[in-house]
Amino acid sequence: MAKVLFEWDYSSYPGAKAYPNLFKPIQIGNIIVPNRIKYAATEDNLNDHNGFITDADVAYMRSRAQGVVGGLCFMQGVYMDEKRQGQGYVGQAACWDDKYIAGLKRIADAIHGERAVAGFQLMDCGRVGAVEVDSGHGPSTVPQRLRIFKPMFEMTNQEVKEMVKQHVDAARRGIEAGFDVMEISGIVGYLISNFLSSYTNRRTDEYGGDIRGRCQAMVEIIQGVKEVCGPDVPVGIRLCSDELLDDVKGNTPEESMMTYKIAEEAGADYISCTLGWQESIYPVISRDIPQGNWLHLAKRAKENVKIPIQMAYRLFTPDKPNKAIGDGELDIWEMCRSMIADPHMPRKVLEGREDEIRHCVACNLCLARLFRDAPMTCYINPLCAHEHDDRYYPHPVDEGAKKEVMIVGAGPAGLECAYVAAKRGHEVHVYDKREELGGTVLEASRSPYGDEELMTCPGYQKKMCELAGVNFHLGTEVTDEMIQDVLPDTVVLATGPVYSKITAKGGDSGRIVNVLDVLSGRETVGENVIVWGNRKPGIGVALYLAKQGKKVTIVGKEKSAGFDINPSFKWRYMIYMKQNGVTAYNDCDIEEINDGEVIIKTYDGYRLPVKCDTIVVSEREANDSLKSIVQEEGIEFFVIGDALVPRNMSSAVHDGYRIGLRI
Amino acid sequence: MPVNAEKEISNLWRTLHGAQTEICNTFYRWRDVAIEVAGPGVKPLDVALKASEMMGKDIGKNLLPRLNWLKGEEGFILNLGNAIAGIWTTEGGIAFAEKGENPGEVFIKCTRCPWPSAAKQFGVPMEEVALSRERLFQTILEDVNVFFNINLKIDMLKAIPRGEGMYLFKLYKAN
Repeated sequence: MAKVLFEWDYSSYPGAKAYPNLFKPIQIGNIIVPNRIKYAATEDNLNDHNGFITDADVAYMRSRAQGVVGGLCFMQGVYMDEKRQGQGYVGQAACWDDKYIAGLKRIADAIHGERAVAGFQLMDCGRVGAVEVDSGHGPSTVPQRLRIFKPMFEMTNQEVKEMVKQHVDAARRGIEAGFDVMEISGIVGYLISNFLSSYTNRRTDEYGGDIRGRCQAMVEIIQGVKEVCGPDVPVGIRLCSDELLDDVKGNTPEESMMTYKIAEEAGADYISCTLGWQESIYPVISRDIPQGNWLHLAKRAKENVKIPIQMAYRLFTPDKPNKAIGDGELDIWEMCRSMIADPHMPRKVLEGREDEIRHCVACNLCLARLFRDAPMTCYINPLCAHEHDDRYYPHPVDEGAKKEVMIVGAGPAGLECAYVAAKRGHEVHVYDKREELGGTVLEASRSPYGDEELMTCPGYQKKMCELAGVNFHLGTEVTDEMIQDVLPDTVVLATGPVYSKITAKGGDSGRIVNVLDVLSGRETVGENVIVWGNRKPGIGVALYLAKQGKKVTIVGKEKSAGFDINPSFKWRYMIYMKQNGVTAYNDCDIEEINDGEVIIKTYDGYRLPVKCDTIVVSEREANDSLKSIVQEEGIEFFVIGDALVPRNMSSAVHDGYRIGLRI
Repeated sequence: MPVNAEKEISNLWRTLHGAQTEICNTFYRWRDVAIEVAGPGVKPLDVALKASEMMGKDIGKNLLPRLNWLKGEEGFILNLGNAIAGIWTTEGGIAFAEKGENPGEVFIKCTRCPWPSAAKQFGVPMEEVALSRERLFQTILEDVNVFFNINLKIDMLKAIPRGEGMYLFKLYKAN
């Protein structure tokens, strides 16, 4: 008889009617999970550098446990060896000794406190591990392709057996800590996946050879962990359905499916279906990949095994997983990035509050931070990783401290600030000369390769503003006189940037247009375009125009194009620029504008003539407008977002949130 | 002021050639340093070959993200040959790779190489120049071979510093 850990009744919730497949129970091993929702194990670098659990991680996990509304909630994978070769992240939790159990129990208790099913994950990072030591371990000594990772060496047969035992011992500690489900990580370049792949496993002992041999370590781990878990704790595994390593002779898709079958034969109670390695040359979770793009892999997995299949990977809205589950192509909807951005995302789905979801914009900043040994953060969720810090919550102000706040600009900075300040009890008025909310995101979201997803940010903020009672004055340009007339207690200048003037000779004669006007379609351009500015807005408009067949050249003062884009996404843009024939002259200036030609000057003085009929200005500067009048009137004021320093949407949101808390 | 293309290009060309000359000169300056630090008992050829090994190892690592198997074995070996020829070109040589008659065989030819001239200025024996080049390329293959699970070899058939008019290397798959 399968055990029900927590009773949940979703019948009265609108989300259960809209997405019935997501909110029906499923049996995994011998337990019943009340819904099809899972927060998948995700590293967050929030723990102590010796592997002990911190308050920050407990609070982070509690927040996600609230979100899964009774579903599966997995803590990050733990490393299991005292030598720390399996440790892939500086803040990764450890589990190589009983001394870690007390901390792990805090996480299990936090998840249970929200009546969710607590999942524990065993994760030796193998080839991408050894973050704190000089060298890593793996099935064979295959050189690293990426220099960011440490050299690694072949494990002896005895070391493999010891590694299997480490998994079993760690599983026992997880059980003692109170976790309900055990999961083994065998994905993206971590140790088990290294054993499975023909790319990294060249062994000739029983742990190498054909796909069965390469699966032997996994089989022994599953069987050992199953034994220690007993019948009441299901054991699952995360496995690549496609490694995307054709270029280095990785497993074929058929071999990958064999790993699924062998895992099932070994006793796995479910499989979490993933794809790609950190070394793959293909993107899988960035926003240039369409939503639902990988569901066919879950379907293929379902066709090959009988145990439940789970999947995350570009499934940010409930409709696609709900349909896939209904169609028998998926069993459980996993979330990683989408619940980093909004930990309560599935709860909002259940409660019919989908328009209150802060959607992930798939920028992969979270990943970029982890690989650079920094704590987790989110591009658009300022509270992420600060869940334990009371100062990050919008507490109500005292009655006497309530203010009338004028926010100038309805872009991401202004809107974020507006709803946070209004939630705290201030009377907030947002002004914008345009009729629409969103500021420059309205135009930025027109760039190709998934940038339309950026509009989810102002969409969320608009709803939050409505709920918080923010007053909008759209189509209203704020002037000095208006400020003198209204005399608010606080002014927040979120006016966006001003666009740089080209001071080059001939700068007043050439055809020069603004990036926003081009992206919005208000201005047209010729066939040979120079984009002035090599940051993200310049790259966005360059790709937008190149897609229309224009010959585009980017010229900018930064040493590399897109230096303001996080490295986990920037490589995509570099490829797209190449594919679309966009040339970039970095560390360069525009020296002269002539008829049909622009002279570019390199940092060291060389002069290059480039054919050009239109210059698109995307270079930005801080915006000082209205600052003098609020200073003159002695009004408390803040400058936020691009008006302060032109950066990106993330900085705008984070600025807005922090100032919203400060007013 | 209109761009004087000839002037811009000639300036760039001079700078490029100056930088290429400095690559060779810097290497030989460091060779002298290493020999002096190593003391009187050291054989300069051993120092040079060790340097080639260390550089080859690092160049091999740099090639790993740039190589792939998607064009199959023949395409892979030709790509690798081109990458090796490209290293020479960057240094100021004229080099290219071309398919051999046998499957999995690529020839790398270099008809102009700046290293022997620089070596002369520093009193380096010509045979050392030739052997260093061979060792460099052989060591590049070490990581590439392990990474792609293949057994490639490279042999030097001709060398400019031996007075043979050109460098000729055979890159091939060994059994």
